[in-house]
Amino acid sequence: MNPTRAALPQWLADHAPAAPLAPAALQQVAREQIHAWGLPSVRDEEWRWTNLRALNQPAPLTSAAPAVSPLMALLPDALFIRFIGGKLSELPEHCPPGLHISRLSDAAPDARQAAFAPVAANANDALLALNTAHADDGLLIEIAPHTELSAPILIDWQDEAAAYAATRVLVRVGAHSRATVIETAQAADTAALWRNSVMVIEQAENSAFTHIGLGLDGAARRLTDRQFVRLPRDARFTSINLQFGGQLVRREIEVDIRDTGAHCNLFGLMMPRGKQVLDTHTRLTHGAAHTTSDERYQIIADDSARGIFKGRILVAQDAQKIQAYQNSRNLLLSPTAEIDTKPELEIYADDVKCSHGATIGRLNPEALYYLTSRGIPTARARALLIQGFAQEILDLLPLPALAEWLAERITQTLSQEIPAQEVPVQKVAGQEVPAQETPQ
Amino acid sequence: MKLLDIHNLHAKIGEKPILRGINLTVNAGEVHAIMGPNGSGKSTLCQVLGGREGYEVTEGSVHFEGQDLLERSTEERATAGLLLGFQHPVEIPGVKNIYLLKEALNAQRAAQGLSEVDTFAFMKQVRELTKSMGMDDAFLHRGVNDGFSGGEKKRNEILQMLLLQPKLALLDETDSGLDIDALKIVSEGINRLRGSDRGIVLVTHYQRLLSYVEPDFVHILYQGRIIKSGDKSLALQLEAEGYQDILDAAS
Repeated sequence: MNPTRAALPQWLADHAPAAPLAPAALQQVAREQIHAWGLPSVRDEEWRWTNLRALNQPAPLTSAAPAVSPLMALLPDALFIRFIGGKLSELPEHCPPGLHISRLSDAAPDARQAAFAPVAANANDALLALNTAHADDGLLIEIAPHTELSAPILIDWQDEAAAYAATRVLVRVGAHSRATVIETAQAADTAALWRNSVMVIEQAENSAFTHIGLGLDGAARRLTDRQFVRLPRDARFTSINLQFGGQLVRREIEVDIRDTGAHCNLFGLMMPRGKQVLDTHTRLTHGAAHTTSDERYQIIADDSARGIFKGRILVAQDAQKIQAYQNSRNLLLSPTAEIDTKPELEIYADDVKCSHGATIGRLNPEALYYLTSRGIPTARARALLIQGFAQEILDLLPLPALAEWLAERITQTLSQEIPAQEVPVQKVAGQEVPAQETPQ
Repeated sequence: MKLLDIHNLHAKIGEKPILRGINLTVNAGEVHAIMGPNGSGKSTLCQVLGGREGYEVTEGSVHFEGQDLLERSTEERATAGLLLGFQHPVEIPGVKNIYLLKEALNAQRAAQGLSEVDTFAFMKQVRELTKSMGMDDAFLHRGVNDGFSGGEKKRNEILQMLLLQPKLALLDETDSGLDIDALKIVSEGINRLRGSDRGIVLVTHYQRLLSYVEPDFVHILYQGRIIKSGDKSLALQLEAEGYQDILDAAS
């Protein structure tokens, strides 16, 4: 079956968590799995575009002082949780009624069991098994039934001061409750932590939960992250995945729509530049009739960066009258950037509405010409168009202050990176036509 | 004073010659109309003057206020005061109309060595102009031309002209696709641009617009050359007799 799988890198084989979080039996199985499978390779179907070679060596330890999350000032009401180098370092002093947050190691056995319920099936899931084997810190967020949390819960991952971390988070959203969790990750560009994390989200009937994943600075940051969501009757889940940096960021979001009336939004924006690799795989299962989903992913890849999106939608045989919409729109800004996108629809029901589309394009030269014909400098016109493209996803954020702040950050990044040089677009015959700044 | 001076202009798209020796002078205070059948080179002339990629000038010269225009990039032509109104304004979802207006105005001010426009004064001015063009404020916060009807797009072009106050407005078939009410609003907008220090070039297929914006000169463009020039009566003659008679007479 596995004739030539590479062995698990020695430094990972030697890694022994001081206090494993997973129930012993599950942890034992996972240990055996990772020794049998090693790390996923490009020969594994789910990893063919993403090479994990960089993880063969442990990262050098960096010890920059943790930064203050800019989101604290932006969202002053947020309930603030902080991890430094994968270790929980700060919990909110006061939680509103109906909200309980604790270290996962302090949680009841049934919660720990639930947090580790997703089990790896094959080598594609090797990082899940690795997390089960190595997770030694994490979080339980429990929201009681009939609880409306007006303030978001903010998990600030300071991905420094460690070389490797494995974390596990369980979120339980009670019936008829509503909550938002924002995860932000940032690190200095020199930091090299690899965080392999798993979040399990259990929603009860008619609950509404929004998860915002926000990857900020940190060109050297490596994040592999997997999320499991289960939606019972009338539950609503929204995922907004915004990735702006990282040497290697691979997110996998799996949503299992199990009962009628449930709805799922999967929105994402990835903007890799330099040599960054930003990758998201989503897997959505419509397992019940009368369920709906809306998926919109956009990648803007510059320099020699790579952006990857694979969106799988599976519609079960008895999931009639479902509606699933998926759209992947992508923008290549440089001839050496690469975008891989793959919609994957598997439909076994016969009375459904499913639509999907995927496009990869360059900046529209007509639009660029139109803007410059109004006197707007080429570099600025490019920035406006890129910003406009990104804005379509930012506009889906339920927090206007956050959307505005991110738009401003993108503006700043664009104005720093694009040299404001004059590019003559037309010359009299006999003179050389200069290289176009805009790829056609 | 000469605003625009086109001398023996030849241009091609790919290997196909389109303009074959255009001569035209536009002085400040004048309104010129360029008419011609489909394929005569009207839009090519506009795009060459605008500096669009893919249009190669093979011979001749264009001067704007005495300076070589063809040496300049598209944005430099615009900030120098030559503004092109598009026949088919492009839709740019995601870029709000109000951003385009502000960026364009600030680019022009920067070229003149002025500081950025005061936001309050800018908004006041833009709202007044929007109203004068029969447009709702909501247009300002929609993507540029995004989902606009044909008439709304053309009104938006004139709105930009009124804000940016170009020295020379070059309007490429701004009247096409307009119903009579929209045509009146657009014409009023163009008439408000008229001034002793400003030139306007109307490129049009039909005489209809010229009833509302009276030109000082009318030129007939055919096969890449101006084959006949006259005053506004030429447009009326064209309307009455059709292109063929005039083309026959001129050849």
